[in-house]
Amino acid sequence: MKKILILFAVAASLVFSDCTKKFDSINTDPTQASAAQFNANLLLPTVETGYTGAIAGYGGAILYQSMWVQIFANPEYPGYYSNGDKYVNGGSYNSYLASPWNNTFSNAGRAYEIINLTKDNPDLSNLSGIALICELLHIELATDVYGDVPFSEALQAKTAGITTPVYDKQQDIYSSMLAKLDSVIPTLDAGKVKPTNDVIYAGDITKWKKFGYSLMLRMAMRLTKADAATAKTYVEKAYAGGTFASNDDNAFIVLDDAHGFSNGNATALGVAEDYTQVRWGKTLIDDLKAANDPRLPVIAEVPLDGKANAANKGLAGISTPAIQEGMPNGYDQNGGATNISNAPGYPGGTGTGNDFNIIGKYSRPTTALYLSRSCPEFILTYAETQLLLAEAAARGWSVGADAATHYKNGLSAALQSYGTFNPVGVISAATADAYAAAPANALDVSSMDASLKQINTQFWITTGTLFNFIEAWNNWRRSGYPVLTPVNYTGNFSNGTIPRRFIYPSSEPSNNGTNYSAAVSNLSGGDQYTSKMYWDK
Amino acid sequence: MKKLSLVFTFLAAMLFASAQDKTITGTVTNSAGKGIEGMNVILKGTRRGTVTRADGSFSIKANTGVLVISGVGYQQQEVSIDGQTSIDVTLKDASKELESVVVTALGITKESRKLGYAVTTVNGDQFNKARETNVALSLEGQVAGLNVHGTAGGPGATARILLRGMPSINSGGSPLFVVNGVPINNDNRGSAGEWGGSDNGDGIQNLNPDDIASMTVLKGQAASALYGARASNGVILITTKTGQKGAPLVQYNGNFVWDKPINLTDFQYVYGQGQNGVKPGTINEAQNTARLSWGAKMDGSQFTQFDGKQYAYSPYKNNLENFYRTAPTVTNTVSVSGGGDNGTYRLSLSNLDNKSIVRNSGLTRRTIDFNMTQKVIDKLSFTINANYLDQSDKNKSFLSDGPGNPNNGFFLASNINEDILKPGYDANGNEIVFSDDNYVTNPWFVVNKWVNNLDRKRLITSISPKYNFTPWLYVMARLGYDRINDRHLGVTPSGTNYEINNLGQSGDINLSTTQLTELNVDGIIGISHKLTSDINLDATLGGNIRKNQDETVGISGGPFVIPNLYTPGNVVNYGRSYGFHKKEVHSGYYSVDLSYKNFLTLNTTGRYDAYSTLYYSSIPTNKRDIFTPSVAAGLVFSQLVHIPSLDFGKLRLSYAQTSGEPGNPYQTATYYSVGSSINGTPTGSYSGTLPNLFLKPFTVTEWEVGTELKFLQGRLGFDIAYYDRKTKNEIMNGSLGWETGYSSYVVANGSVQNKGLEILVTGKPVVTRNFEWNISVNATSVSNKILQTDLNGNTLGLGTYRPLNANIAFVKGLAGPQIMANDYQYDSKGNIVVDASGLPLAAGARTPQGSVLPTFYGGVKNDFTYKDFNLSFLIDYNYGNKILSATKFYAVYRGLDKSTLPGRETGVSVTGVDGTGAPVTTNVSAQAYYQRLAAISKTDVLNGDFIKLRQVTLGYTIPEKAFSKVPVIGSIQLSLVARNLLIIMKKSDNIDPEAEFSAGVNYAGIEGTSLPTTRTFGINANIKFKN
Repeated sequence: MKKILILFAVAASLVFSDCTKKFDSINTDPTQASAAQFNANLLLPTVETGYTGAIAGYGGAILYQSMWVQIFANPEYPGYYSNGDKYVNGGSYNSYLASPWNNTFSNAGRAYEIINLTKDNPDLSNLSGIALICELLHIELATDVYGDVPFSEALQAKTAGITTPVYDKQQDIYSSMLAKLDSVIPTLDAGKVKPTNDVIYAGDITKWKKFGYSLMLRMAMRLTKADAATAKTYVEKAYAGGTFASNDDNAFIVLDDAHGFSNGNATALGVAEDYTQVRWGKTLIDDLKAANDPRLPVIAEVPLDGKANAANKGLAGISTPAIQEGMPNGYDQNGGATNISNAPGYPGGTGTGNDFNIIGKYSRPTTALYLSRSCPEFILTYAETQLLLAEAAARGWSVGADAATHYKNGLSAALQSYGTFNPVGVISAATADAYAAAPANALDVSSMDASLKQINTQFWITTGTLFNFIEAWNNWRRSGYPVLTPVNYTGNFSNGTIPRRFIYPSSEPSNNGTNYSAAVSNLSGGDQYTSKMYWDK
Repeated sequence: MKKLSLVFTFLAAMLFASAQDKTITGTVTNSAGKGIEGMNVILKGTRRGTVTRADGSFSIKANTGVLVISGVGYQQQEVSIDGQTSIDVTLKDASKELESVVVTALGITKESRKLGYAVTTVNGDQFNKARETNVALSLEGQVAGLNVHGTAGGPGATARILLRGMPSINSGGSPLFVVNGVPINNDNRGSAGEWGGSDNGDGIQNLNPDDIASMTVLKGQAASALYGARASNGVILITTKTGQKGAPLVQYNGNFVWDKPINLTDFQYVYGQGQNGVKPGTINEAQNTARLSWGAKMDGSQFTQFDGKQYAYSPYKNNLENFYRTAPTVTNTVSVSGGGDNGTYRLSLSNLDNKSIVRNSGLTRRTIDFNMTQKVIDKLSFTINANYLDQSDKNKSFLSDGPGNPNNGFFLASNINEDILKPGYDANGNEIVFSDDNYVTNPWFVVNKWVNNLDRKRLITSISPKYNFTPWLYVMARLGYDRINDRHLGVTPSGTNYEINNLGQSGDINLSTTQLTELNVDGIIGISHKLTSDINLDATLGGNIRKNQDETVGISGGPFVIPNLYTPGNVVNYGRSYGFHKKEVHSGYYSVDLSYKNFLTLNTTGRYDAYSTLYYSSIPTNKRDIFTPSVAAGLVFSQLVHIPSLDFGKLRLSYAQTSGEPGNPYQTATYYSVGSSINGTPTGSYSGTLPNLFLKPFTVTEWEVGTELKFLQGRLGFDIAYYDRKTKNEIMNGSLGWETGYSSYVVANGSVQNKGLEILVTGKPVVTRNFEWNISVNATSVSNKILQTDLNGNTLGLGTYRPLNANIAFVKGLAGPQIMANDYQYDSKGNIVVDASGLPLAAGARTPQGSVLPTFYGGVKNDFTYKDFNLSFLIDYNYGNKILSATKFYAVYRGLDKSTLPGRETGVSVTGVDGTGAPVTTNVSAQAYYQRLAAISKTDVLNGDFIKLRQVTLGYTIPEKAFSKVPVIGSIQLSLVARNLLIIMKKSDNIDPEAEFSAGVNYAGIEGTSLPTTRTFGINANIKFKN
């Protein structure tokens, strides 16, 4: 009896004594690292691959911009490609519309976290500087897609407790981004510690500097219509700082499907119904055909006859340029007035009976070139920068060479870029140079408008066929080239015009309502696909 | 050695003690000495029993044990047989029968008259005849204040159990389940969302109804305060069956029931497959329209289907009946129980074999339940419980809108026979895609090929030694351990169309194992002492340590190298996952009851909790501990004032506070993780949820007032409770826009109020010699209000459905969760705004459309007994909630809904205004118009009211004398049983208002593409063998 009382007393004292001291260690997650243990370099590849996630695949531009600017077409209706091909909501459109927002801001936030984690360590200034450039890369994408977005107060929920950041005007965002680039690029120092986990340039600081100035060039050129003076200042500054010098400087990421880093575009196009329905756009193929562009047989192929063959990814198509056909946007396969067979110049189908393929004669993206899920994704290329410089020169700004030279460089570089996807895409330097140097392909300098038309059409072909659809759309909005005829399908969300922006994510009114409403009130026409943003005049 | 011999004796007694029964005769009389007819005489712990004859006499076969004599109007009495062959009993009037006893927190039994709060007990016979594969569903409609809701997820699906409304923002809602004093895990193993997934069941469904003696529902915080944190959602105490003193009693129970799917759709069968009024003309068009009924009027003409074959363009209505099957469930349970002077035991073995209405799917459950109470020495006794479970769920059906869902045939065009999709794959084993969307997997391919298997092995054990120092002082310890081993195997099979890559490879595998453990150690000192002749003291002092841990290891991969070989080694790419969580709570508690002259009782409890999940050591002012008190009083006023016809009247009043912690540990610091490597370069990340360094325990505070009244010798009774409960500083995830750098943050600002009225009326309208009618009606009115959400008072988004054009959310100031949907867009004058095509536009912002949780619900139960027959039926009802219906959306969008018939051939004339306010009248195609209507999501919100005939049982007990010359069999009770027989009233077309794909509060009220509702009917047979 006594023994039991004592035992109980011991047990009770165990319960009440402060063995809660161990609680701190119990409440420490053993599967993750603390800030002290962590290596901030690990966040860099996440931020970098995050950008390719933001511009590629279903979370990126393939369902929207790729077809808005008529790089691709898809006749399936209803379906998720109707968002792009027909400007008609389809699939999980609310989710797609939020994807660029979520992808860019989450990764800008991780870049910002790198900066915070390294701020007391001057040795890591290169990592910090590159992180800032990456942050701005993401923010630029966000503002180019949506317009006014949070920036000055953004990403600071942890550091400053800001849970509802104000939306800044796009004009202010651009001037702030350009100023930040201007101050951070010179801090990159090849003599200091390199970032260790960089999957774009493997820590090459010289290349990062060129990337920084090339990004500055792209941002500045965005402002040609909204604020030409600022554009000129930063374009010249960027050129003087040193933009990309050759295709060796191209920024791209080689993906790694085996470990969960899939090429979003290849994954999307590899889905059976995408594979059998997504076709190159008519405007694009017509342009390439007319120009005898050596890229045409590289990027396009017509599937073998019949439905079954066209669905078989193991069967290569026919790449003969003469038979390539682009599909017009805005058609369906539903048997009505907008049936694809009613499209002007409809080439007919292939196969017979059960195997009839109504879109059998239209060209698809070459399977062998584009469809590996570990295929690289381009972020920014030498060809793009040369074409931007060509326009700058055409505008009379001081960028080293004349417009024709930059244009020729850009065209040749563009042709030589496809080998990066896959060796089957290689166009030799000799072929490319010869094509770019041919008088028929030289820049038309008869007027600035003529030059701008040719440069920006080339920019559209290049970014479109290198699968950077957002950039093709951005530059089309800014330049107006090429001139595209919008589709006007029943029930479309943009009054039969090519959309100029994404509407804000449907979660914003509840997450950040007051600031969202203020931003919407600043948009001409409200939160619509048709509202034009600051630089889109 | 002494112990060993004790055990041996015990076992030997079990094996050999089976002395012959003898006949015991006797008479039951009332206080006036007159024989009473119709009294039940039952051998305790068995179902052996008889009824007294007109003169009050009875005879019963028994050897040892206790006879329980009971009946309407009289107080129950127990008499030990003790070798007697003649037993006469005098029963006291029921008006004096007020001493009923209930189990309360910590397993302490109290006289119900003394309680200051509401408690309801449901006996096992309410759920072990007409069964559900999840026993919790059997509580539906049985208890005032309790709302139980299943999912349309097939056998063993999760039950959403809400006591007194949605208890809090972050809790998930489920009450704590306590089995024989030991809290058990009731976590949901996974549920479906807008992107699909399966309902993987909860913890409570693992229990075998045959082993449950009763479930006691502690509704209020005062009732459950002693359980601390997890009692904030209420507590349900489960008492399992135990043995009774006497020779071993062997029982067999067989339950054979069939589930039959019910087709609740009433679709249009006038227009067939196609678009814009046109029948498909090509294979392509047929494939694109396999789920679109916007074609021509069906005329029986031949046309080419997506498979290239010719079919008649005629209505086909029997897909649901053909695709699903009538599915049997067989449960066999054998038990042996008994006991001697120093202890009792019960052992049961059970096997449940269930087939789902979905082919190739079902569950098996084997359980062993053992309990034993044994006196070791005079004052020391042990109770041991062990419940072992081995459950396999084969091919849990995917729900909602994702690949692998067998229910995808639901929206097939009105002329398609689902059989033409058979067998779902071609000669190469590749899926046959039947529609425009290859993520909509061919349902026959799903049932023939997909794998989604769950296995669970679980052991719930407890041991509690108790030492009685004196008759009024005891010490006890209780060690409870619940260990769960789960295994999940998911396979997207080879040939699944959307996965086929350019090398022709496809498929993936996901294999994971999870171990969950919960350990509870309690030490309790109890005192029961008469302080004076009028004042009685009952006090308990205790401490508890609780430890929870879970660990998940997963391996995944794809595509398969060798097709159709589903093993993790046979894949091109690998993935892995690992999860670990641990938490601990240290608590101390007391309970003091003072009662005065048996009519006034004052109860107070206090509990101190320290939570490992709180406190961040860098912030020393943080708190991880809290003390929460409760006070309750019960006054039996009928003892003070005499009111005619009132036999018993009690007033209850209570106030209680409980506290709580975050659901998950590790929310008080930032952590960084390492992800996959890209081409050999490691990557890192961190959670998108911002941790909170300043967390404190949250609290729940509740007032409750109630009364119990009994009239006319117990023929009419009322139990009424009103409560007002508020939570404060609730810890939850607030939603952030990614522009903040995070998508959510842990915030401790939530507050919810529930006010409610609960009424239980019991009556015995008819009592005659052979016939008795018992009725019980319960009604609950609950009003929920979200008082505060996150720091900004933002609406907190919860779940959604695949159309993604509406969601549910917590909205400050309104009942939670609200459906947020788009209305039409109106101009300032209230005109509908149309777009350039003449189609109505949806409003830009979503607005609240009502809560998904009912505000008024309850049940009506009737029991009729005629001689050896018993008929019982339960009707339950549910009012005041809304449903976000994907079925409605798709039925309209796909042209199946009858509402889409007007204007099919003429077009629909739409009148509205354009963006400038100018009037517009346009004729638009029916397809374009109705598809736009579906997208205006307010039209997809349905009324959830219903009344259902939930349960019917018709029982017949074969009189014992029928077996007097039969060997072995002692008695047989047969019951015809049925569940979910009839929907008496509903307001939602085409769906069962209870069909949801997830049981979680965060997806409550969202419906679509799930299993059809089933009707269950069958037989229950209970056989007691002679001992």
